[in-house]
Amino acid sequence: MSAFTLTRVDAALLCCAAPLLSFLILGLTPALRRTGRIAGYVSIAFAGLSTLYAASLLQGRMFAAASPPDIGQVGWLYAGGKLVASMGVQVDGISASMLVVVTVVALCVQVFSLGYLHDEPPAALGRYYTWHSLFLFSMLGLVVAPNALQLFLCWELVGLASYLLIGFYFKKPSAGQAAVKAFWVTKFADIGLGAGLLVLYVFTGTFDWSPQAVQLLGATGAAWTAGLFFLAVMGKSAQFPLHIWLPDAMEGPTPVSALLHAATMVAAGVYLIVRTYPIFQAAPGVLVFMTFLGAWTALFASIIACSQNDIKKVLAYSTAAQLGYMVSALGAGELWPGYFHLVTHAAFKALLFLGAGALIHAVHSNNLQDMGGLWPKLKISGTAFIIGAMALAGVPGFAGFFSKDAILDVLLERHLFAPWIALLAAAGLTAFYMTRVVMLALFGKPGHHTEHAHESPPSMLAPLVLLAIAALTLGFAGTSLATAAGHEYAFHLSTSGLIASSLALLGIGVGWLAYGKNAFVPGKIPAFAFVQGIVESSAVDRSFAWSYRVVFQGVSGGVAWFDRYIIDGFMNFSAWLTQMAGERLRAAQTGRVVDYLYAVVAGLLLLAAAGFWR
Amino acid sequence: MPTQAYLLLSAALFCLGIYGVLTRRNAIGVLVAIELMANAVNINLVAFSRVWGSLTGQAFTLFSLALTVSEVVVGLAIVILLYRAHQSVLTDSASEMKG
Repeated sequence: MSAFTLTRVDAALLCCAAPLLSFLILGLTPALRRTGRIAGYVSIAFAGLSTLYAASLLQGRMFAAASPPDIGQVGWLYAGGKLVASMGVQVDGISASMLVVVTVVALCVQVFSLGYLHDEPPAALGRYYTWHSLFLFSMLGLVVAPNALQLFLCWELVGLASYLLIGFYFKKPSAGQAAVKAFWVTKFADIGLGAGLLVLYVFTGTFDWSPQAVQLLGATGAAWTAGLFFLAVMGKSAQFPLHIWLPDAMEGPTPVSALLHAATMVAAGVYLIVRTYPIFQAAPGVLVFMTFLGAWTALFASIIACSQNDIKKVLAYSTAAQLGYMVSALGAGELWPGYFHLVTHAAFKALLFLGAGALIHAVHSNNLQDMGGLWPKLKISGTAFIIGAMALAGVPGFAGFFSKDAILDVLLERHLFAPWIALLAAAGLTAFYMTRVVMLALFGKPGHHTEHAHESPPSMLAPLVLLAIAALTLGFAGTSLATAAGHEYAFHLSTSGLIASSLALLGIGVGWLAYGKNAFVPGKIPAFAFVQGIVESSAVDRSFAWSYRVVFQGVSGGVAWFDRYIIDGFMNFSAWLTQMAGERLRAAQTGRVVDYLYAVVAGLLLLAAAGFWR
Repeated sequence: MPTQAYLLLSAALFCLGIYGVLTRRNAIGVLVAIELMANAVNINLVAFSRVWGSLTGQAFTLFSLALTVSEVVVGLAIVILLYRAHQSVLTDSASEMKG
């Protein structure tokens, strides 16, 4: 018997197929779905299978420099006998590593959810796992997409899964509103992706991102495509000013926030840039815009994160900020630092969210003021959370340190000083607000919920430990990832790295003074109070509300008038005409048989006469 | 006998039929008048069959007779239903289709 070998394309296909199968099984058998925990085990089993297939890709020449991608695809859309788009998988160093990131985080989150959503009714739990499987399938399909059209399809599917999972507690009005808001904001941004696809197709006749396609696009086409794609990225990856949906999305269960709104789905925007990078590289104007917008988002969101009292909102703003780092780095014209940060961020932000989930689970509140002094009760979850916080803050040796350092280094190398300074400031602020969270939640004065707090069950601790190890070690994967992106990288301590880690340590120190030692009250400092005022006025949200009222309602009011009085008017007029004619003609229908017979004879005579005098 | 004689007979029968259809108020009378018209056509067919020396016309007449029989069956059924609905066979009574 010949040895059964799995090609990389097969492994990637099976990796995607497993969650799809799980979704179909759970979706089509309500009896199984309503068992809740068993449905969860099914979903976890398939996610585990998917993880194994993904992990099997991480070997051999996957990370050899410039190895061509393995592509397996079948024809999908034909127009005029010509193949327009295929569907399949593209396996290379980037998609393979992303597959592993997505499946591992998803597996951790699904296991964690078993403990976290313990009190949910079985039907709700089954529904939860069904949507999780759908999400995992869509996300994996997005990662392996060999062309932009399949990517778009899966992009919309993850948006749908996000909507469904944010609205998981659908009996809570705020959750429903948050789901709708997230859906609308990202759909608005997705107009960009749809329009970008059209531009791509018009210029090249395909949906590929191959070098030939980029050549066909030319400077103009590339600028349009990249610009429109970036609009979609701004929505999905929560870049200013379209970040407004992300903090609200925290209405979903915490594990959902960890998976979708921190580690994977929001990273899809950055991943889109990574995948279509040849197009972006041909559009220098868009790249410059990305650098500045990303840096601004990082700074802006970091400032807001300092004043949030909801532990999940702090992490949400921090996610927007870290995505800003990635976008900024990609804008600087170098692929791998942004992608590296995407991978490390996925690990430590999932860890932070799950850790926050463990804290929330212990005190049944999102509010930092209700926590306090949890450390003695939650040693393991607390340690995991602190490791995540240190990785996010960029403490040397932790994952975030390496990737952030690489990003700052690239910006400095390209002489992009303004974004560089903004990102350095954001690094200091990040350390400050994470220290604040750790101090308020784990140490300090015990809140009134702390008494009854207890350590989480093993199903929640195991994912935390796994992700904590990843957050500690993933920084050393940078070399392999850089090679996969066709770049040489060996870690060295650079100027920006030194400055950033000093700022991080400074931020931790200030945070410790303010919230650990209570040496001063930040709220009393005018600059801080001013920022807090801006946040509380939610200026961005309100400016959107204003432009919605004035612009959208103005335009749609005009369109509605045209529809009502011109289009409907025409239809109503013809209906009225028909009705009046009918009113007049009904008199001809006497109901008497003889009258009809007269009409028949008259017709006959007319025909005869016509025949006679023809 | 000249062909014109047959044609005249047929035309006369047809006109009688039309007159009957238009003036009779009894539904059965109307049916009878329709029979007259149908047979006027049959006479025409037979007459021309003789003129052309072909049997086709006569064959058609046989078909036409069979058709007329079925038509009477349907017609009488309608008359019965009319009677059930209105307790009368006068065509005037069936005026529900008045617009």
